[in-house]
Amino acid sequence: MALIQVQSVSVAYGSPAKPVLNNIGLDIEAGEFICLLGRTGCGKSTLLRLILGSETPASGVVTVKGSPRQRPDPVCGYVPQKYSLFPDRTVLDNITFGPEVSEFNLLTRWSPRFYSRRREFRKEALQLMQRLGLRESDAGKYPDQLSGGMQQRVAIAQAFINKPRILLMDEAFSALDPGTRQGMQRLMKQLWRDTGITVVFVTHNTKEALALATRVVVLAKPAPDQGAGILMQFPVAQPCAEAEIGELTTRLESVFGGSEDLEDSLVPTA
Amino acid sequence: MRIPPHDPQVRMRNNESQSAALPLTSTTWTTMLRTTLIAFLLASAAYAETPSFTVGWSIYAGWTPYHYLMKSGILRKWADKYQVAIKVKRFDYAPSLDAFVAKNIDACTMTNMEALDMPAASGVPTTAIIIGDYSNGNDALLVRNGVQFKDLAGKKVLLVQKTVSEYLFDRAMTINGLRDQIKRVRLINTSDADIASAYISDTSVTGTVTWKPMVSQIGKQKGVVNLFNSSQIPGEILDLTVVRTDVLARPEGQRFAKALTGAWYEMMAQMSGPNADKVLTAIAEGSSDTLASYKEQLSTTKMFYTAQSAAQFGASPELQQKMALVRQFCYEHGLLGANTKSVDDVAIQYPDGKVQGKPDKVRLRFTVEYMQAAAQGKL
Amino acid sequence: MAAGSFLMHAKPGRFSSTMLSWILFATGIGLYFYTAQARHHENPDDRVTPTLAQMVKGITEAAVKPAEDDEPLADNAPLTQRLLASMLWKDTKATARRFVYSLALLVPAVLLGLHMGLFPYAGAFFLRFVLFFDKIVALSLLPILFIAFGIDELSKIMLIVIGVAPTIILDTFNLSRGVPGEQLVKAFTLGARDFDVAYRVVMKQILPRVLNSLRLNLKAVMLFLFAGEMIASTEGLAYRISLLRRHMAMDVIIPYVLWVALLLFVVDLSMRLLNRKLHPWFHEA
Repeated sequence: MALIQVQSVSVAYGSPAKPVLNNIGLDIEAGEFICLLGRTGCGKSTLLRLILGSETPASGVVTVKGSPRQRPDPVCGYVPQKYSLFPDRTVLDNITFGPEVSEFNLLTRWSPRFYSRRREFRKEALQLMQRLGLRESDAGKYPDQLSGGMQQRVAIAQAFINKPRILLMDEAFSALDPGTRQGMQRLMKQLWRDTGITVVFVTHNTKEALALATRVVVLAKPAPDQGAGILMQFPVAQPCAEAEIGELTTRLESVFGGSEDLEDSLVPTA
Repeated sequence: MRIPPHDPQVRMRNNESQSAALPLTSTTWTTMLRTTLIAFLLASAAYAETPSFTVGWSIYAGWTPYHYLMKSGILRKWADKYQVAIKVKRFDYAPSLDAFVAKNIDACTMTNMEALDMPAASGVPTTAIIIGDYSNGNDALLVRNGVQFKDLAGKKVLLVQKTVSEYLFDRAMTINGLRDQIKRVRLINTSDADIASAYISDTSVTGTVTWKPMVSQIGKQKGVVNLFNSSQIPGEILDLTVVRTDVLARPEGQRFAKALTGAWYEMMAQMSGPNADKVLTAIAEGSSDTLASYKEQLSTTKMFYTAQSAAQFGASPELQQKMALVRQFCYEHGLLGANTKSVDDVAIQYPDGKVQGKPDKVRLRFTVEYMQAAAQGKL
Repeated sequence: MAAGSFLMHAKPGRFSSTMLSWILFATGIGLYFYTAQARHHENPDDRVTPTLAQMVKGITEAAVKPAEDDEPLADNAPLTQRLLASMLWKDTKATARRFVYSLALLVPAVLLGLHMGLFPYAGAFFLRFVLFFDKIVALSLLPILFIAFGIDELSKIMLIVIGVAPTIILDTFNLSRGVPGEQLVKAFTLGARDFDVAYRVVMKQILPRVLNSLRLNLKAVMLFLFAGEMIASTEGLAYRISLLRRHMAMDVIIPYVLWVALLLFVVDLSMRLLNRKLHPWFHEA
């Protein structure tokens, strides 16, 4: 059985109901790197939130490891585009938040054992920071003292320290400048390879999707007032030969028009 | 202090509008300046022709007649006779005293105690021209659970401190031979607006000293007893109409005092005359009250309906004895000012020329001149 | 000075800024003493506008002498004993005690707002009622407060709590609703339970803003406290002011009012410093 199963899921918002997703079916196997590709408003983030469990479908069912999603839990790690870090915690404390709350509740948090365990968490966090290209000198900084790229590295470290089976990333690199973005993509790919984690990555950038994914799932609305469906999906070999990338790019361009960033594409949704 | 229940419905407007309207449409400075000057000159010219005086009053059985005095036109008639303009303005009690001390108004209604400790002690020489009435049961000490005087030590008593209420309490304890126990009673300063509800709802409070209509309201409660009231100290809580002494020093000020006194006793005659009920109803309306309720308040108010009786009381040695008690109380409670080193520093002069205190420090004067003139029909 | 220097782009120097900021103070003080002098010239016994010497004397006596209904001190009592037995200290203590109790009672208000913002059932249960209660003029409820809480300390403290708590509740409610959803989701995916999210994520994040909101409401707290003390009490700063007003002892009232202002300023300043110390990450918008 697939790790994540999305079975004939539909979602609608508002009243009168405006369809967002229409009858989506998608199976994701363990170890895949899925990129959900589509334009803003096509429902790809909604699909991600269904897997996350912060939203429930109007009809259909989403299961992870066979059980339906009810609420966000540690099975899935999460890296949103922004507001990922707790502003009141330093970089180090942001990373150790996961193990701290998993092991200690509001009361046991005041026990002496907490402090000895926290030392261990911190050690682990520092190693993770190093692996993600964060300097030790950043450990004591607050999130708003870091650049956007650094913040996302911390957010990834924060998610990784709990070793989730699945990592859900929602436009995680979209706000970064192109250079930083490429660096982050390389880093993400490296982490994926090293850990064998399953990643679902939402993006509206074709180049990013092709650079990261083992499978690209393209979502699109057939018409403005209809819910989005899966327009197409295709596997991408990783690492991918130049020729194949060229071919896939051309294929996506035929659908979305010439731009790599779908927000810039001139042709309306297929 | 008598701070009558606030009633926004009975707010009065000035009889006359003092300020001339300025045309604000003029565009140039010169025009505006000229207009202003002319308006100012006209206004002051008018002012010079008929001198204008303001009387402040507050709601209390003995003072509410001022509302009728103005409404009925009696005051207008007397003012015209003496060629003065008299405005009547309703205040809450405390603000009326403040306005009088600040010299914003020329005459004001107040008790003998406040006349001494507010204007007189603040260095605003004051003369009482009308003795309207004295409290004859209006102010009372009420207790619950059958408590006696001797049980009061350590008990809670609600009252507005530093006012006639505390004076009444002081006198009640003294008369009952418990002067040394006064300090052991727990006096709680309570605003008169809330004193009735506070006393009724909190049964841990033993006593309260207050005045009508609160006394009537509280008295209706089961188990509440009127332990002492002002009818046991007649003539000690007086309700006066006072005028600033410096106003009386001017001829037009004297005309004002005559007009006011004349009007007052014409109304008093109506209040006690054959058509009394009609007049009393109109007066009661001045405080949004009913005739029955107003009559009930009058029953514990000793009104001096005739100028004769008021003048007699004012000239009697009795007044001097009562005032001696009041001024001693004021002094002991620091009401004459922290810098007043002796009770004699705020002196009182009586109609017979006698002075209580240092003769060069006369700040409060009682005069029967106007009341006598009214009695003799010379006004 | 060119007219341009008064426009938006003006850059007043340090010296002129300081001078400008004191002009109104100087004018106010000057006008006061001018009036006081004029009034005293006309009436040496004037109590409405005491002179500086009178005020100094008034407040010194308040600070070293017991209130008139208290036991007088021995003449040779040391200064510290005098200060501690004084009217000013007694009143300050009484008012401060009520103030601290009321602030302490606002803590549950903060917690309630937090829970209303985060737990939909709590929100549904309380929100409408609190919104309604927020519009109630607390002072008008006094008779009910007297019935429910007596006329002693409790009714005064409850007056403050009822007057200020709805504002604090709604403020905290809005603040906790304002925390981005990503934060909550992230916390859940990291293994936090509901109460971890409420107290270890949201509460910690909004605390500096809650403290600021408390700071802004200090004046309201003081206003209700004063109203309560003026209505029924035996000690306290506002009690004294209302009592002294009966015989226009402005020589003590004015210093008392300034003393209250100073105390409020100090409380506000220390809350601001505490906020900065506790939340170095927080930058006021």
